[in-house]
Amino acid sequence: MSAPDYTVDELMIARVAQVFDDGDQVVNGMASFVPVCAYMLARRTHAPNLVWLAGAVGLDPRPQRVPASTLESDLWRDSAAYIEQYEDFWSYALNGRWLTKFMVRGAQLDMHGNANNSAVGPDYHRPKVRLPGTAGMGDMGSIGKRLFYWSSTHDPRTFVERVDWISCAGYLGGGDERARLGLEGGPELVVTNLAVLDFEPESKRMRLRTVHPGVTVEQVQEATGFPLLVAEDVTETEPPTAEQVRLIREEIDPDGTRKAEFRG
Amino acid sequence: MPDKVTSLAEAAALVEDGATVALQSMATFTAPMAMVRELIRQGRRELTLVCLVGGIPVDWLAAAGCLSRFVGAAVSMEQFGLCNQYRKAVERGEIAVEELSETALLARLGAGARGLPFGITRGLLGTDLIDLQPDTLRVIDDPFGGGASVVACKALIPDVAIVHAHRADRDGNVQMDPTALWPDIRVFPKAARRVIATVEEIVDGERIRAEPDRVVLPSFAVDAVVHAPFGAHPTSCFPRYGYDSGLHLAWAKAARDPEAAAAFLDRHVRGPASHEEYLDGVGGVRALSSLERLASA
Repeated sequence: MSAPDYTVDELMIARVAQVFDDGDQVVNGMASFVPVCAYMLARRTHAPNLVWLAGAVGLDPRPQRVPASTLESDLWRDSAAYIEQYEDFWSYALNGRWLTKFMVRGAQLDMHGNANNSAVGPDYHRPKVRLPGTAGMGDMGSIGKRLFYWSSTHDPRTFVERVDWISCAGYLGGGDERARLGLEGGPELVVTNLAVLDFEPESKRMRLRTVHPGVTVEQVQEATGFPLLVAEDVTETEPPTAEQVRLIREEIDPDGTRKAEFRG
Repeated sequence: MPDKVTSLAEAAALVEDGATVALQSMATFTAPMAMVRELIRQGRRELTLVCLVGGIPVDWLAAAGCLSRFVGAAVSMEQFGLCNQYRKAVERGEIAVEELSETALLARLGAGARGLPFGITRGLLGTDLIDLQPDTLRVIDDPFGGGASVVACKALIPDVAIVHAHRADRDGNVQMDPTALWPDIRVFPKAARRVIATVEEIVDGERIRAEPDRVVLPSFAVDAVVHAPFGAHPTSCFPRYGYDSGLHLAWAKAARDPEAAAAFLDRHVRGPASHEEYLDGVGGVRALSSLERLASA
């Protein structure tokens, strides 16, 4: 039964939670409230054995609430193990056996699923805007991971035809360009505040799959800086259930910390 | 064993103008902030900073005009924003950036630590960051004919690595209590020519021997030890204390404007003559004990 009232952050969290199966291993980085809440929701519902490396440090933490930082100790102080990063975390992540799904957010995301967190503008060395930097996504895009994007700002500034600089490898120029480079994995799904999109298998172009309740296909196209492919069977995104919303509001994030990601 | 304990001012002399400094910093996590403040007070110039994810120390050093180059995976104070003074200096072309993925950065430092000409990673393949940095990154074939290419990452040997830790003895055995161990303490010091450790407390060797598994840097790899309680402030030093939200917020606000940023540094960094005066200026050890409660809540 869908919830009588829910907000878009709760819808995104419930949709992202579906991506993860019982027994998967997942990790989160800085300021990542949607993934963190989605992992916590999945562990309370369909995936109790979802293994979570919080902040790439704490194994299966039991935070009482979502803290202001998704990297710092408040998230993972109560963990089954503290994972050392240089040898241990990266060995687990680079080994093909574990952590096969990875969630990414970029300041820019393009029609072929490349992301940019490096710089805005044509001159990399004198950028219009210096972005934080590639950090782990420069690795995760290239080492065979299945990539899942989330964005709370579906607008033409974020969704661009071609990112200014590729700092996370998606399907590059599209088609088989990624495969020809010998890269496995790649972007599969994009969950935004307006819609859910995937990538058309041949062209590897972003394709609209579902629109959130109350949002039209035209609105999603207007908010996107390139022509979207539109699946023939576009439906409404399934809203969260009443129980999912209750878990998010009462057990997972009673302080509403997740909303920080949705403030302009 | 020689006594490695020295003062902030003397240890800072190991960092020369133009040096490449590997600095412990991961967003709001432990950074050797007392030493960062000392470097600003002493007016270091033309530093190359190597960080994993540089936080507030990068922004302070950038605002003070100490930096000419940044090498690292990202710069961010997470919830407190993007380090505006650093960002503006990069946009003006005053600070050059060598942007590496985490594994590429660690490959460079790992190679430096082990005397190799380069390390390798599969990270960054397909991105634009390889062609942007041909002096340190090159795509090479698998010499064993496996088919997959890898990225060769040129060895990086910093002049000095600076870390903050929970305790050390006078010989320089440095301990961390159970916490997140980032590469900035696991590999940066092994790659660097010199290592400075500031610590919350200096203890007797017997105290170290009671928990030898907590030693993260052995004495022979450490050149200078400095006693600096709350030396990571305003960054966190889990499990001893949390990050100071108030001071991070005050800086993030000041950093939007060059004059406000300079006034902030005058008040909190260049003004206080010593680490003790700095602590008094941010409320004193008594007020900072609220951060301890926060960390143990």
